[in-house]
Amino acid sequence: MTGAPPEDPPGPVPAAAVHALRGVSKNFGGVRALVDVDLDVHDHEVLAVVGDNGAGKSTLAGVIAGAYRPDAGRLLLDGAPVVLGSPGEARTRGIAAVFQDLALCDNLDVVENLFLGHESTRGALLDEVTMERQAWELLGQLGATVPSVRQPVRTLSGGQRQVVAVARALLGSPRVVVFDEPTASLGIRQTAEVLNLVERLRERGHAVVLISHQATDLQAVADRFVVLRLGRVGGEFDARAVGYEDLLAAMTGAALPTDRKSSR
Amino acid sequence: MSAVQQRGSLTQIELAGVTGLSPATVSNIVKELTSAGVLHTSPSTRSGRRALQVTLARNLGLVAGVHFGTRSLRVALADASMQVLADQRMPLAPDHRADTGLRRAALLVAEMVESLDARPEELLAVGVGVPAPVDVRSGRIATVGMLRGWDGVAVTDVLAEELGTPVTVDNDANLGALAETRFGAAAGHDAVAYLRVSHGVGGGLVLGGRLVHGRAGVAGEIGHVTIDENGPICRCGNRGCLETFVGAPVLLGMLASSHGHLTLRDVIARAQEGDAGCRRVLFDAGQHLGVAAANLCNLVDPEIVVVGGQLAEAGEILLGPMRTVVEQRTVPSTAGPVEVVASRLGAAAEVRGALAVALDTAGVSGSLGVTV
Repeated sequence: MTGAPPEDPPGPVPAAAVHALRGVSKNFGGVRALVDVDLDVHDHEVLAVVGDNGAGKSTLAGVIAGAYRPDAGRLLLDGAPVVLGSPGEARTRGIAAVFQDLALCDNLDVVENLFLGHESTRGALLDEVTMERQAWELLGQLGATVPSVRQPVRTLSGGQRQVVAVARALLGSPRVVVFDEPTASLGIRQTAEVLNLVERLRERGHAVVLISHQATDLQAVADRFVVLRLGRVGGEFDARAVGYEDLLAAMTGAALPTDRKSSR
Repeated sequence: MSAVQQRGSLTQIELAGVTGLSPATVSNIVKELTSAGVLHTSPSTRSGRRALQVTLARNLGLVAGVHFGTRSLRVALADASMQVLADQRMPLAPDHRADTGLRRAALLVAEMVESLDARPEELLAVGVGVPAPVDVRSGRIATVGMLRGWDGVAVTDVLAEELGTPVTVDNDANLGALAETRFGAAAGHDAVAYLRVSHGVGGGLVLGGRLVHGRAGVAGEIGHVTIDENGPICRCGNRGCLETFVGAPVLLGMLASSHGHLTLRDVIARAQEGDAGCRRVLFDAGQHLGVAAANLCNLVDPEIVVVGGQLAEAGEILLGPMRTVVEQRTVPSTAGPVEVVASRLGAAAEVRGALAVALDTAGVSGSLGVTV
């Protein structure tokens, strides 16, 4: 690991990284989930992280979003080192995450879910009108087709629930949005909705980190690929130039990680 | 009957006007067909007077339109009156393969039919548009290398087997041309030239209300008209094709060193915000399109040139220079310069065209219960 980054990203990536990981490692007991991982996340870009089961994908999502604290290595926000103690702290710094389980409350309606923990108030009362209006506005921007914001979340479809979870992550307009396995267990229509959503987030200038093992879904929207294999970065690719076979080879270790930037 | 089908829905009075029959005759025919369950009427008002809205009955079944783009898939379902009931878009990977793409399309169609509470048997026909020349008789992709991973694929056979319905395949720009002629910017015009400018460039010609396919479906491929004999090599193997000047990879490549990684939509948005580099790229693209379109106009002399595809969203930034070049380079006519307009159906043109051919197929095969 070298010192502070005068980093030179490969290819035509202009802006400096919003969020960067340098030499990050994370162990769970004897299991080395992440080993010396470097990662750059840029504005207006979809970064896809692929890997086999147990490659460390979800751990990486956790580290980026402040759910796990790395055992070694540093996190840099806009080039300045930070320590993210909790997902809440990450949120205040502009990093939001949607995890695999969505963490929605099934018995509450859409508005209650969106504003749970940070409700708008007017005096001692909840400002339901403002919250409902904001909810519609947000869902509208995401092109969501939720029938009513006063419907309990358990009555919504998989894709709609995903949209609600995303909408909640977007409150307070974060700069980085992390998705962990967003299309797992969704039907094809909902998968289509989620992929459209990711495209829209990118257009709005967010940095999006997509974590999944479904390379075909990711290829549809990604700008850049990072392949994780056994906790290490097994390759970094430009999405326009990489084929499905190349990704598969890097995921399984059939191809050695030769494309890594060697200029560090 | 075909009047109702082509226009989707119209009032009884309008129907009389369109068919040239007397209102009383129309009323009798409509009554007869309604009791036979072919038409559906609903009360409405037209310029303040009571009128009867006539549509084809929904229980006649559904048709699906599928549009494969270079980077996206779009599926729409409509009833027999061309009323769109469901519409879904989905991004696709670059160089997506025929097998996964067709499977996804089939799954999406099936799920969308289900979401309308319809049974799979209600799906009468499927129309498909692909961004490559298609031999419409066999339903096969008719060229090699234009759509990687799809060479020679028998789209009709694969999808028909998955969905169990008749499938009609055509080039996507052809379908866009048909849709603009029937429902869009070129309605009422004959000899229509349509240019689809998106990731690649395609074109379609409609003469006398019918699409021109040529010998094996390559008719209208304006993207591969030579602009510069010594130009760069194109994916089709020739040199200096229109596509090597205005295809998305070329436009984005020109901006890569100054603007970084952009998408077509980014370029259009920035051009509209006044970014000089992006405006210049679109201006030049418009001029190149104008050169190719002018050659086409000198050969076919269409009444109207419709520009569709994603790049058409740039509006006058692209169309202005294009129009100027077309005027300069076409034979002056007493009828004045040819009209060059943006697509009215926008991104939906191709999928609407796919629905239209599906409906034609359903009508021909008699699934609608009547021959139209």
